[in-house]
Amino acid sequence: MHWKSSYIQGTSGQWETYVNSMGTVELDALEVRIGGRTILDRLSGVLRGQAIGLLGPNGAGKSTLINTLLGFHRASSGTARIFDLDTYRDRAEIRSGIGYMPENDSFIGNMSGVHFVRYMAELAGLPSTEALERAHEALFYVGLGEVRYRKVNSYSLGMKQLIKLAQALAHGPRLLILDEPTNGLDPIARQRMIHLIQEIRKEGSVRLLISSHLLRDIDETCDEVLILKSGRIAALCNIEEERRSNHSFMELETAGATDKFSVSVRGLGCECACFSGGRIKLVLPEHIEARDLYRIASEQKVQIRKMHVRRDSLEDIFLRAMDTEGERPAHVHL
Amino acid sequence: MSIYKHHYRAYTGRVTPIWTRIFALARYGLAEAWSTKITAVLFVICLIPPVGFLFTIYLSNNPSARLLMGTVGTRVLAIDGSFFLRVLTIQSWLAMALASCIAPRLITLDIVDNALPILLSHSISRFGYVLGKYAALFATLSTVTWVPCLLLFAYQGYASPVPWAASNLRIGVGMLAGALIWIALISLLGLALSSWVKWRGVATGVIFAVILVPAGVGAIVTGVLHTKWGLLLNVPVMMSYLWERLLDVHNRIDNALQLPTMAIVTMLALGCCLSMVMLNTRIRAREVVRG
Repeated sequence: MHWKSSYIQGTSGQWETYVNSMGTVELDALEVRIGGRTILDRLSGVLRGQAIGLLGPNGAGKSTLINTLLGFHRASSGTARIFDLDTYRDRAEIRSGIGYMPENDSFIGNMSGVHFVRYMAELAGLPSTEALERAHEALFYVGLGEVRYRKVNSYSLGMKQLIKLAQALAHGPRLLILDEPTNGLDPIARQRMIHLIQEIRKEGSVRLLISSHLLRDIDETCDEVLILKSGRIAALCNIEEERRSNHSFMELETAGATDKFSVSVRGLGCECACFSGGRIKLVLPEHIEARDLYRIASEQKVQIRKMHVRRDSLEDIFLRAMDTEGERPAHVHL
Repeated sequence: MSIYKHHYRAYTGRVTPIWTRIFALARYGLAEAWSTKITAVLFVICLIPPVGFLFTIYLSNNPSARLLMGTVGTRVLAIDGSFFLRVLTIQSWLAMALASCIAPRLITLDIVDNALPILLSHSISRFGYVLGKYAALFATLSTVTWVPCLLLFAYQGYASPVPWAASNLRIGVGMLAGALIWIALISLLGLALSSWVKWRGVATGVIFAVILVPAGVGAIVTGVLHTKWGLLLNVPVMMSYLWERLLDVHNRIDNALQLPTMAIVTMLALGCCLSMVMLNTRIRAREVVRG
């Protein structure tokens, strides 16, 4: 256990290898009951992404899952592990390596920005001098350098979001948990927050777990998504892989002998539907590429005037996951 | 991260042991408590009586002064258990005033600004959080209770022409125990009540009210029902009894109204337990909505 603890507190060089082999978050039939209600219902899965998105409608259990991962709630049955440490039993070690940005306002308004971030860094285990240095750096990094000596309760809503991010970053966490990071931000501030998250992700030393209602935020920042619905896993997938595997939807606009062309395309093994005006919709098998269609069109003197390859958006993935009413898959591959 | 390049960089430096984080809480708690002038003024007021008592001890051990004061001096300048009981009582009630000012500053701000989710997401348990705040309060109250009391005791031992300290060790130990019990009670009570009240001024009033209102009710119960058990609601009286027994002073109490020590200790323990339950209910990272 000791070597895992040292990993999470950032003192071991074998960190990346270890995390890649084990996964960031592991859920094994996790069930959480609060006040007699089952909030999380037998969740199972391994989250390995650099940035993991947590999606779901209100009441799906996103915040409860985050609170369970932070050790605030105890699992009624099953286990949740972060970097192979039990989230409840080893919560002190886990929290040393976690940066948490809560959804709601959470700060000490009477303190100046730099004082507050330093305080949080010291609680995370940084010695006093290093904590002060990192507090200044974190505040400059998120763009609050000029207002760092102002009291936090005088900050605007956007600044308060940023200072929550600064305190979560200051101690150099291994896992950054962001609960609705763009909540209440105007479009420019939102874009800045998204840019910061992308930059942190690119740096590579921090894993991210981002909970959001906004599909666009998750789409722009995450490579893996866990979709919850009524306390159950509706979908768990790698966004990039999903997009790659669904590149086969194609819409064509043709001129010429469309019927003959569609018969030939069917001969290649494509599913094909013809519409008026020479419009054709295709589902391509894996081995068929666009150049095969151009070859047939050339042979049959058919003009392809427009070709549109439609990829699955996160919205499609989300909507399909929400449609799986009644099913109880522990781990759904879309 | 770098101030000039504005890039994120991971922290790879030294990390403090988890158990030491409680001291960070206590340190920041102390800084917050002392950030107001009211605390500084109250602290100075708390140190005025010990200066007076120090002067009294000096006079009592000064032959010229005793000679000048004659028979009055023998009575006024007697340094015994009663003298130190007076010191302890005054310092304890001043500490109460200081606690009612400091305790709300330690905890109310965290509750009002909803800082607990962030604070408790670090390697600090709820117990550790309360312990850190408690340590800050305990340290401040110690400087106005048992520390000056024991310094006066030590000075009397030093200034007395005859060996005094060894034969009166009970007084020193009694003052230490009495002050520690009082600090433990008012610290817990102060933190617990502050965690339930949003406004600092109101919290200060509530702390006093919780001590004084039951005392009034207890006095009514004692008067109407002609029973001494009403005094179990009277914290000032209970503490006086306890301090007198700890310092082995028996000259001021009406025997009919004497409470058993065990009853007093039980009531004080109950008060502490109730405070802990209140803290346990309130100090949470998340509100749990039941039903």
